[in-house]
Amino acid sequence: MADITITTRKNGLQKFFSQLGNRWAIIFLFLEIILFSIISPGFFSVKGAQVILINSPFILFLSLAETFVIISGGIDLSVGFVMGFSSVVSAKLIVAFVGLGMNDLLSIIVGIVITLCIGIIPGLVNGILVARLKVPPFIATFSMIGITHGISELLIKGSYIRNLPPIAGRIGNGSLINIVPGKTVSFFISPTIQRGDQLIEILPTVFVIPFIFILFFAFILKSTKFGQHTYAIGGNVDAAIRAGINVKTHLIKIYMLSSFFSTVAGIMYVFRYVTGKADAGAMFLLDGIIAVVIGGASLYGGIGSVWKTLIGCFIILVMENGLRMLGVPTFYKLIVIGIILIFAVLIDQLSPELIHREE
Amino acid sequence: MDTNKNSILSLSQSLLSILARNWALLFVLVLILIFSFTGINFFSYKNFQNIFHLSTIYLLLASSETFVIITGGIDLSVGFVMGLSSVLSATIMRELHAANFTPALSISIGSIVGLIVCIIPGLINGVLITKYRVPPFISTLGMGGIASGITLVMCEGFPVTFLPPYLTGIGNGYLIYILPGKAISFFNRPEGIAVEELRNLIRIIPNSLMFNFIIIFILWHILKNTKFGQHTYAIGGSMDAAVRAGINTNKHLIIIYTLSSFLAGLAGVFNVFQTGIGNFTPFTAMYELIAIAAVIIGGASLMGGKGRIFGSIIGVILLRIIENGLHLSGVDPFFRFIAVGLILIVAVVIDQLFPDLL
Repeated sequence: MADITITTRKNGLQKFFSQLGNRWAIIFLFLEIILFSIISPGFFSVKGAQVILINSPFILFLSLAETFVIISGGIDLSVGFVMGFSSVVSAKLIVAFVGLGMNDLLSIIVGIVITLCIGIIPGLVNGILVARLKVPPFIATFSMIGITHGISELLIKGSYIRNLPPIAGRIGNGSLINIVPGKTVSFFISPTIQRGDQLIEILPTVFVIPFIFILFFAFILKSTKFGQHTYAIGGNVDAAIRAGINVKTHLIKIYMLSSFFSTVAGIMYVFRYVTGKADAGAMFLLDGIIAVVIGGASLYGGIGSVWKTLIGCFIILVMENGLRMLGVPTFYKLIVIGIILIFAVLIDQLSPELIHREE
Repeated sequence: MDTNKNSILSLSQSLLSILARNWALLFVLVLILIFSFTGINFFSYKNFQNIFHLSTIYLLLASSETFVIITGGIDLSVGFVMGLSSVLSATIMRELHAANFTPALSISIGSIVGLIVCIIPGLINGVLITKYRVPPFISTLGMGGIASGITLVMCEGFPVTFLPPYLTGIGNGYLIYILPGKAISFFNRPEGIAVEELRNLIRIIPNSLMFNFIIIFILWHILKNTKFGQHTYAIGGSMDAAVRAGINTNKHLIIIYTLSSFLAGLAGVFNVFQTGIGNFTPFTAMYELIAIAAVIIGGASLMGGKGRIFGSIIGVILLRIIENGLHLSGVDPFFRFIAVGLILIVAVVIDQLFPDLL
């Protein structure tokens, strides 16, 4: 009798610890928000939240790309420079179309569509290298860094692209709902305002678009065959092959998907900053991978989810923004995120052990 | 008859295997040949000395990465540890110099402290990877971020300047100086030569080359001829087998990551000697990725158990010769990014196509 009660109590404790291990990321995120709300005035406000959301799109897209690749057991180092590449290509195309005398909006749409088609080529090459030629993902995608970086620098000759139509900036810096009280209400595109007008912005467009993608692809990863196969390949490739999954084709699709997300991120960059830059995404590559890992994915594959990645992203974004509002130099962010990263994996390593040992 | 055929077959096979094994070296020779025609002043002892001299930090980082990759791990922190040691030792040198210490004393104290402190990140990496089973990728990535942050906090985002004199004299000096028909001297320029004569001064063997040669020779010896090296290969080949063979794998891996960090620190300190300032590593520098690429081109496998110091050196030289040769041939510098990417893919595809030959 006594034995049973002890084991149940132990089980309860274990359950608590494993729950803590599983959910530490979200708990940590809440603690972080509470901490910054207390010590940093103005952090916990609509404006503070908007700033975080405005800075979010690139890390959201790149980490979404990494989520799929990392769950399949690979890694994609090229996302940052594919993003830069696509920002250059789309900006250049839009400028060219406008130069041909096309309507601003039309040239933007055509430019985006063509860029999306070009942008998945690096992913296709990565996928073929990884799946068919058995090149380790680390090396294949690292080579792609060199190639995409080189091509995009050649396209812009080491400078950046100017003369984009101003409407691009109005889309990129607009919000889902823009209200000028008593005058106009507009959606997506920020209205032209006179001096003295007050502009109320609800949900920045640059957050709405990635969020739609996240909703859609969270569904894909969780509830479709495609997502299940991704987990299966990451969990055990041999078993996946025996289960009749066409692993090679699937991996090629995953790397193309990753490139697709990076391309969308690059296009977002063009709208946000009204320019195209070859190294636009260089800073976000590591953040993207780190967000996925903090969210609890395993680099050995098979574990992870889009929602957990989202939490990982916001841990980084809140930290970044909170420190900035406190006036702490950005350098400290690197230290803090490095420590969080290591602790994230330590907790993941320790929590299953708690269960194993008792068994 | 049959044996004859077999021997021819095996001969051709072994020839092919030698070719595949040393394709990087062959490629370097081919490139040298091509660039000798296209590049202005490419084929001259001055330029080759230059290539080696400017490769110093990459050579050190690649050899540190070689050890780690042979064990089946990866070290993404080396670039930032290099920046850390560079800034730390430069800051100490500056402070001591400002406090009226002699240049020799402040330089040596700065270098030694820089080297010792840079062991710490590697030690932490090793402990995290072995005792707590954190994947090397994550542990070293996090450590890279931490090292980079500490570096930037220390130097506030600017290179450290106002260092003691003689630094660049040592780092950029040569072993032998010859003024034809007049003077010969070692380590220092001949005394009292006119400015016009400087042009004719022949400088042979940069100090950095000797420094590299000594370090690389020691590392080569350790990896090839000692028990430590054999254990490194054993761990990379099969962790389980290594444990069963009685190797203390945890201790060994900790030493490997510490060594890697130490070599990165050495590269950082040498960088101070070469440039005369304490450089931090920018977040987009990708030193570690270039070093890893060189190691892979040199024939190592990210799965572990394979790799040679000599191969990694060839890998570095290959990348540097492409850069230098394209530059001297007047090619747009951005083509070299593309070239590096393509060559890396070729390297690994060759590796995959002839797995049993190697």
